[in-house]
Amino acid sequence: MLSIDGLTKTYRERTVLSEVSFRAEPGRVTGFLGPNAAGKSSTLRILLGLDRPTAGVALVGGRPYRSLPEPLRVVGSMLDGSGAHRSRTARGHLRWLARSHGISGRRVTEVLERAGLADTGRLRAGRFSLGMRQRLGLAAALLGEPDVLVLDEPANGLDPEGVRWLRCLVRDHAAAGGTVLLSSHAMSEVAAVADDLVVIAAGRVMAAGPLARVTAGFATLEDAFFALTGAGSGIGGVR
Amino acid sequence: MTRSRALAAELHKTLTLPAAWAGVTVALLGSLLITVLNAYAVHADPSAVAFTAPLEVAFAAMPLGTVGATVIGVTVFSSEFTGERQITATLAAVPDRVLVLTAKAIVVVLLVAVTAVVTMPLTIGVARLMIGESVSIPEAVTRCLGAALYWILSGLIALAVTVFTRSGVVPMVVLIVNGSLVSFSLLLSKVSALGFWLPDMAGRRLFGDVPTVEGGLGVVPGALVMAGWTALLLVAAAAVFHRRDTMG
Repeated sequence: MLSIDGLTKTYRERTVLSEVSFRAEPGRVTGFLGPNAAGKSSTLRILLGLDRPTAGVALVGGRPYRSLPEPLRVVGSMLDGSGAHRSRTARGHLRWLARSHGISGRRVTEVLERAGLADTGRLRAGRFSLGMRQRLGLAAALLGEPDVLVLDEPANGLDPEGVRWLRCLVRDHAAAGGTVLLSSHAMSEVAAVADDLVVIAAGRVMAAGPLARVTAGFATLEDAFFALTGAGSGIGGVR
Repeated sequence: MTRSRALAAELHKTLTLPAAWAGVTVALLGSLLITVLNAYAVHADPSAVAFTAPLEVAFAAMPLGTVGATVIGVTVFSSEFTGERQITATLAAVPDRVLVLTAKAIVVVLLVAVTAVVTMPLTIGVARLMIGESVSIPEAVTRCLGAALYWILSGLIALAVTVFTRSGVVPMVVLIVNGSLVSFSLLLSKVSALGFWLPDMAGRRLFGDVPTVEGGLGVVPGALVMAGWTALLLVAAAAVFHRRDTMG
């Protein structure tokens, strides 16, 4: 389980997160929905120990990410695309990650196949399409067979087949008892996979709970989103 | 277990990084090329006064090794921040940043040391073959150990400085210019004795009896001062890396 409690982050004068709290439960897909610059990535970066919060805590199964002895076996994450150096092949990127956890070469081949990257051979990451980068990031997230998946805008750049693959992947993961936290600004994508929803805007959680409850009283998730975030009412709304 | 795996991951990452091999190539082929050119000049004109002994000819090319070590030290860290920002994947796998930096430092030491072990006997051997004069083995070994230490410390200083800047451009330009063309500490030493206490001036006698400016520290105190600078910079780099947000 992922628990975020009272997370606040300020950069000098600017507050990017204020008192953000929510949970992501096992066996469920939690959609983390908000317009660009709402604080989704900042929250996930703190959860993964990349940035420090000004106040509050973010825990993975009750522990800070930085204290996990073998983090890739607990949490599979994807932020900022693939994270692969442009000179490396898909396999080359996964191999050093595997080394860090004593994961076998066979598992590297498995996740490459699962992500549809088995045929990329000697092609270097610098020449990958956006969709291939996302697939490589997802392959890396799956590498350690983790219970928890934390994915930041995973559908960006994926073709329709890729989006469908991603949807099956996260649904299967939750069905097997795993925890999935998936951020997005694309409502249709979230509506198609999420059990629970956390809506964030301007660094604050506007609503959180099961999808049906958050969208109750609205015709669509889109209507609920605009009503909750106050965005889209004119110029300067959702970008 | 975690530590040895973190080291294995960093070693694998560096050995598959073309920029790190560019550093090895500069040290190895650069030193060899300069040695061949100088040895040829000596060979063609045996009455030349300077640089007649093979060891002197080989050691005149050693600054190229410093440049190579600098390239290795810089790129091991700066490669984490280019393009798709590999640092995110690195810290997701090994969240302990002091461990990441320690592993990178060990990789720099290993790669520079192996480069030195290959490069130095090769350049000395080539100089000896071309010039034809014999080389004192004990003297050669002592001087090679000193020069290898200087290369390793230069690589580690480059690593530490790149932690502060994250981009490799500034440290690469400044350290290479300082190490090969104009030494800032050499210029400073002309106006103040403080210049002799900066890392590259302090350590310069590790190369042995090469022509250098008068004054300053002897071999052992100089080596200790240079090693002290290296340790200080690495500790400061670890503190900064530990506290800083990845994107901040």
